[in-house]
Amino acid sequence: MNLKSTIPCIPIEGSISWADWLKGRRARRESSQLVAPGVIRRKTSSSDRRLKKLFNGERGLPFTPTEKL
Amino acid sequence: MDAQKIRDALTDITAEQDPTLKSAKLASLCSALWLEHGVELVVVGGSAIEILTEGAYASGDLDMCHTTAATLSVAQRNKIMALLGAKGGPRNWQVAGMYLDLLGWAESFARTPFRRVEAPYGRILVMKPEDLLVERVFVSFYTGENKTARDCAKILTAVALRKEIEMDWNEVRRLANLPAYRNLSQCAKLVKKVADELKINNPLHPD
Repeated sequence: MNLKSTIPCIPIEGSISWADWLKGRRARRESSQLVAPGVIRRKTSSSDRRLKKLFNGERGLPFTPTEKL
Repeated sequence: MDAQKIRDALTDITAEQDPTLKSAKLASLCSALWLEHGVELVVVGGSAIEILTEGAYASGDLDMCHTTAATLSVAQRNKIMALLGAKGGPRNWQVAGMYLDLLGWAESFARTPFRRVEAPYGRILVMKPEDLLVERVFVSFYTGENKTARDCAKILTAVALRKEIEMDWNEVRRLANLPAYRNLSQCAKLVKKVADELKINNPLHPD
């Protein structure tokens, strides 16, 4: 059985439903983690001042762990 | 969109603690409101990469552009964003616990359409992964090695090779040959490396 075929794809033509986009989140994260593990968010940028002020010293909200996607 | 629906959406987005969902929902709401005034918005940059890959890359600001040269006046923009209780303007706002940056007209060389997600408050347009991939490869070498840009190119490649997003590889090849980039060999090298790692056929193989 090809399990990959059950994962919704973001298509070129047409659109993906919200439910399907949500359903594909974990698979997309897992694929990304295979080639660039961990959080790859930039450590610094010109927006640091405003971001760190809003997000308690961080540059954004923490990412949801893969197992909870 | 009526005022109650906007209030409900804002309550939902403000409470949202998943950064990607928060960003996508805010993009959805803003896209719907701007579209009511005839201007189509598209998610670009790191926010677009996050929606396409879940790669744990984006920061707490949502970058959007308009899809045509025409946009709204400063007064119209601020009027719309005031409906959301946004602070700031006319190109950057703090809204629903994050930042929205409006960067102007979306620059795209790809002939493929923007990707479309039917999000809760309205359709989101997302920058084309073909543009994002070739641009990130370009940035990763432009001023010396840029690991973050390279990682972004790798995650876009990985989700495309695993068919979680549909990528037009012929279009990637065409873009990478454009004078703006001239980086086909670098793109091909990166895609080959990811394809080899994942043990998947390389779609940019010269044969």
